Amino acid sequence: MRKILQIIFFAFLSFFYVFAADGAGELRMVTAANFPPYEFYSGKEIVGIDADIMREIAARNGLKLIIEDMKFDSIIAAVQSGKGDVAASAITVTPDRRQMVDFTVAYVSARQMIIVPVDSLIKNGKDLKGKRIGVQHGTTGDTYVTENFHDPQRFDDGSMAVAALLRGKLDAVVLDNEPAMVHSAGNPELKMLEEPLTFEEYAFAIAKNREPLLKMLNDSLNEMMQDGTINEIRKKYAEKIEETVAETAAENSGDGGWKSEWHTNFIKNDRWRYLWDGFLVTMQVSVAAVILGVAIGFFVAIIRSTADLNGNWKIADYFCRVYLTVIRGTPVVLQLLIIYFVVFGAVDVSKVLVAIIAFGINSGAYVAEIIRSGIMSIDRGQMEAGRSLGLSYCRTMILIVLPQALKNVLPALGNEFIVLLKETSVCGFIALQDLTKGGDVIRSQTYNAFLPLIVVAMVYLLLVIIFSKLLEKLEKRLKRNE
Amino acid sequence: MSDMVILEARNLVKDFSALRAVNDVSFALNKGETVFIIGPSGSGKSTFLRCLNMLEVPTAGKILFHGKEVNHCSRNINPYRAKVGMVFQHFNLFPHLTVLENITLAPVESGLLTRSQAREEAYGWLKRIGLESKAEAYPMQLSGGQKQRIAIVRACAMHPEVLLFDEPTSALDPEMVGEVQLLMRELADGGMTMAVVTHEIGFATEIADRMVFMDHGQIVVSGTPEELINSDNVRIKEFFDKVI
Repeated sequence: MRKILQIIFFAFLSFFYVFAADGAGELRMVTAANFPPYEFYSGKEIVGIDADIMREIAARNGLKLIIEDMKFDSIIAAVQSGKGDVAASAITVTPDRRQMVDFTVAYVSARQMIIVPVDSLIKNGKDLKGKRIGVQHGTTGDTYVTENFHDPQRFDDGSMAVAALLRGKLDAVVLDNEPAMVHSAGNPELKMLEEPLTFEEYAFAIAKNREPLLKMLNDSLNEMMQDGTINEIRKKYAEKIEETVAETAAENSGDGGWKSEWHTNFIKNDRWRYLWDGFLVTMQVSVAAVILGVAIGFFVAIIRSTADLNGNWKIADYFCRVYLTVIRGTPVVLQLLIIYFVVFGAVDVSKVLVAIIAFGINSGAYVAEIIRSGIMSIDRGQMEAGRSLGLSYCRTMILIVLPQALKNVLPALGNEFIVLLKETSVCGFIALQDLTKGGDVIRSQTYNAFLPLIVVAMVYLLLVIIFSKLLEKLEKRLKRNE
Repeated sequence: MSDMVILEARNLVKDFSALRAVNDVSFALNKGETVFIIGPSGSGKSTFLRCLNMLEVPTAGKILFHGKEVNHCSRNINPYRAKVGMVFQHFNLFPHLTVLENITLAPVESGLLTRSQAREEAYGWLKRIGLESKAEAYPMQLSGGQKQRIAIVRACAMHPEVLLFDEPTSALDPEMVGEVQLLMRELADGGMTMAVVTHEIGFATEIADRMVFMDHGQIVVSGTPEELINSDNVRIKEFFDKVI
């Protein structure tokens, strides 16, 4: 039985792969756009050294560049699975990674730097032994510290690690040179140690056995290194960093305070737009997923309770049970990732749609059991009365049993919708910019962990309060016949 | 006589796992006839009545309506049920619908009447039973007696040829029993074909054309009320001694 399932599963996968042939004339780049100056958001666009180099390569080869943002620890998997052609995300060449992907020639050599509080006793890499060290998950700093010292604390982005350092939760943070410069300049309480922890080389990663693509990238990179294009791009961003460093330093040297922090995080560069756009995505995903979940829930609940009450539809009931067990027995984040990377691994679908499907299917399982409990709570005399009047089973279900069942389970159903709304905050795992991720993007630009988190939390709270009030009104209206 | 038979059960059997609730019962209901089914608790009379409407699927035997078999597995049961109304012990009104909606739902849904026809007829019925003012009320706002009379009207709204009553007054407070019995009496007098399961022996003997005594899942005696009261059967005598 297991073998058969496996075969079906892989047949299913290969079906998608077959139809996922490279879009002609496109070069798809995957990156984790929270790593200035290599890749970061400027408004809605992803810019940075990697992005600019890739744009130039695409232009020189007459291709159209498509950039996709995702978590750093997913990008190797993304090129392996064919989600993207090139991973360009300040990736350090390591023997481990060489086993999984092919690397282009190195285009940058970079240093891993140590940031510590100004009064810290840590003077160089040797002092890190036994200390609480923060890193960005999946980066070279992470690997180096893990191999040479001990398990570090792994954060999704550097600014979170720096925020933890500022609050005394860490003794040191290991980051790449450029971001480390920005962070230490932006915070007077922190300093960057002069001696680098380690050197490393950055290269682009592609799936194995793609010789033509590798040759194209290498040829272009060599060309660009010789004609000085790469140096120009690096220089451009180095200047920008110096500007940023000067700016953040100036902002922090002033009295700062609430107002200027508010201004930096939300007003400056129209950063509030990240929250607004994220809010719209969160609403889109939540509302559509609720509708999908309710549809699935009704369908499954009716099959399940019919099987319970009459002993009919045994086979359909079996499949419903499997669905409920699997969905309720696994975390929603994993379901989201599996649907994105495995089910839709090789086809290009909108991430909003993926999120709606994942959360809809997830919520459907909970809604189904809630509605089933509602149906079972209705006296069987109601079904008998309906049937005795000559109404069919389905008509009686729809006209008589379900309206009463829904009224009974409305509070539980409302609760499920609230949970769903908040669960969509894991959308960031597939790099969909929802409300939570919008806050993350602001944090990665302003190096401020506090204000964006609080504001995002307040927006969720406000949404839930409004929804609860509406639900209360609906409940009152439905109670009028009691 | 046989062309007058509307509803007939032949050798009906109903098993609940190990228990045989109805054991080889044959029974015929003639047009316009009011038959009361009596018997001790657990004698199978309610189960038998529910089998007649297929709320319990018979284990064996046949149910014939106008001579046609209705419990054949391929037959759509809904048109049959539309013609055979049922009144329940616990009323089973639809609590989320108003009195008027309770009455008009089925005739409109089944296409028997248009919405306006159904409303007109419903108001006629409500006027007749003096509950016109309750048309827009919800079942929760009614007394037990009012609920049961609405339930009877709801069954009548489908223009049934037969009405089945399953202990219609046993869930009522004593002072409410009268109003329900009055309505049943009016229906019987109006020529409705009725089968009633009840414990109200006095009421039964007053309006029954025929009475059936059931015990241990079988019909023991069937006859006029006088015949039953004067029967020498030990089990009937024992039963009457207890209830009267």
